[in-house]
Amino acid sequence: MNLSKVTSQIAIGIMAFGAVSVSAASLRINGSTTVNPVAAEAAEILRAEKKADITVDTQGGSSGGIAGVGDSSIDIGMSSKPIAQDDRAKYPKVNFVETKIGHDAVAMVVSADVYNGGVHFLTKSQIKDIYEGRITNWKQVGGRNERIVFLNKEPGRGTWEVFAKYLYGDPKTAPEVNHPEVGGNEETRSKVISTRGSMSQLSSAWAENNPKIKALGLKLDSGQVVTPTAANIANGSYPMSRPLFFITNGSPTGEARNFIDFVLTPRGQELVKKHGYLRLSDLSRPAKEAAQPIAKPAAKVVPRKTGR
Amino acid sequence: MRARQFDWIRMVAIVFSVLTVATVCGIFLFLLAGSVEAWRHEGFSFLAKNHWAYRKQFFEAAAMIYGTAAVALIAIVLAVPIGLSTAIFSSEICGERSRLVLKFLVELLAGVPSVVYGLLGVLFLRNWMQTLYEKGNLEVYSGDTLLTAGVLLAIMVLPTLSTLFDDAFRSVGSKYRDAARGLGLTRAETTFQVILPQALPGLVGALLLSFGRALGETIAVFLVVGRADNRFPKLGGVLHSLVDAGQTITSKLGGAETNIAVGDKLHTSALLGLALVLFVVVVGLTLIADVVRSRLSSETVA
Repeated sequence: MNLSKVTSQIAIGIMAFGAVSVSAASLRINGSTTVNPVAAEAAEILRAEKKADITVDTQGGSSGGIAGVGDSSIDIGMSSKPIAQDDRAKYPKVNFVETKIGHDAVAMVVSADVYNGGVHFLTKSQIKDIYEGRITNWKQVGGRNERIVFLNKEPGRGTWEVFAKYLYGDPKTAPEVNHPEVGGNEETRSKVISTRGSMSQLSSAWAENNPKIKALGLKLDSGQVVTPTAANIANGSYPMSRPLFFITNGSPTGEARNFIDFVLTPRGQELVKKHGYLRLSDLSRPAKEAAQPIAKPAAKVVPRKTGR
Repeated sequence: MRARQFDWIRMVAIVFSVLTVATVCGIFLFLLAGSVEAWRHEGFSFLAKNHWAYRKQFFEAAAMIYGTAAVALIAIVLAVPIGLSTAIFSSEICGERSRLVLKFLVELLAGVPSVVYGLLGVLFLRNWMQTLYEKGNLEVYSGDTLLTAGVLLAIMVLPTLSTLFDDAFRSVGSKYRDAARGLGLTRAETTFQVILPQALPGLVGALLLSFGRALGETIAVFLVVGRADNRFPKLGGVLHSLVDAGQTITSKLGGAETNIAVGDKLHTSALLGLALVLFVVVVGLTLIADVVRSRLSSETVA
């Protein structure tokens, strides 16, 4: 083995993760693992029916999608969080346009042993105490005598931001913690399932239909316990919910437009429902503006901030 | 002597070797230039202190450097005895034909993509480790620990290590074996007192190369190391830190922060600084390995 071979391997090793795969597809989509199942299946349908050339990837979650649109390496970003002022400041030349395609909730999920041990819901302050390390055993919140393994969604994930916003108002004011981190929804789910006494933040749709992982209810200040069911998300009583977006630079055109329009048709919206999320028409409040097949994306125009 | 013609092959070879060297130097310079801001911001504490919190602009990477070193050391410590035994078996005990078959199979293992090892680690190893910890009454968090990553890496470097060890043994000329056997030494004596000392430089070189590989391995480690920041143990806590979650340079660079850092000069520069540390260490190790192998072998063979 010679030097150059080894060093080039190392260089590839260093960069393997940082580089977003470059592809020649005409429509490149990347971002949130929450939005991904919908986009992936829509892409499959369009590939089969319209011979569309589409790649769907999930590098870096929502932040990866936003960054990709920012530096024009992709055409559509998938995001489970709205564009922040910071994102606009990072890419002042980019006109981020959000098109809402559905709605989802973030659930506090636990491994089945915790749920069966008697913990079915938590209050906001209990979640804070667990997150900040003041509560470290499930018996302190009514469960069995077992240490709490908090698997924190890594920063930059839409899921984490919704969680931090709920607990601390602004994700930026969230305290510094050093929990083990998990990335995409697949990893979070499999690690929660396989780690006894574990808890994490996860898209509620991903916690359904598996007896080894359970979504906890939230006990509100009123004393009412709300679980992340479709009805509770739709009527707004479950607090940790969020819209799901496609992000484009300017109003979508061409291939990107076709793709997004397809997801907004009744047939595309069925995919949103199939993967456990709420369709735009399921929402009681903002539904009307988005229910009809969209001619213009429901973009939220935010005044652009210049400089930092 | 014939008149000198323009030698195309020689020319092409020179161009490409210059290109290779330039690539390596280019990466080094890029990382160095890119990380200047972080070095200016943190100075020596970038390496020596432990507090990484990008939201508050703390970029002190000691815990990641510790994690990287710990994981790679565990891997080497576990892999060397097995690799050495395999190499002794394949080079000294097996017949020539079965040696080739064995070597082929071992090298096949070396070609398995690391993500496959990573998935096996997630599916099996981390659960086994967790069960093991619980049986040993260790108060542990989960199966994602530095030790888990080390064990997984040991499995991954084993094929490379044993095939390089085998090469080192085979490079010892058969005249030494014949002479030793002629003197009436047993096979064990021949192997350990004649061949092993002769092969030592090659073995050390192989060890350093594998260590470098272990340091730079990313995805498999990423999946089972836990990715918990700022776990830098005090001296008494080193052993416990191995059965706790940790972070390596590669798992940090493979994580979400590379996306978050876009547009944030200091943060980007700190991540490039991490890459620089890894790059320098691994290239340094490789160079030392090459020097050791060439120098010591020329001494002993002569």
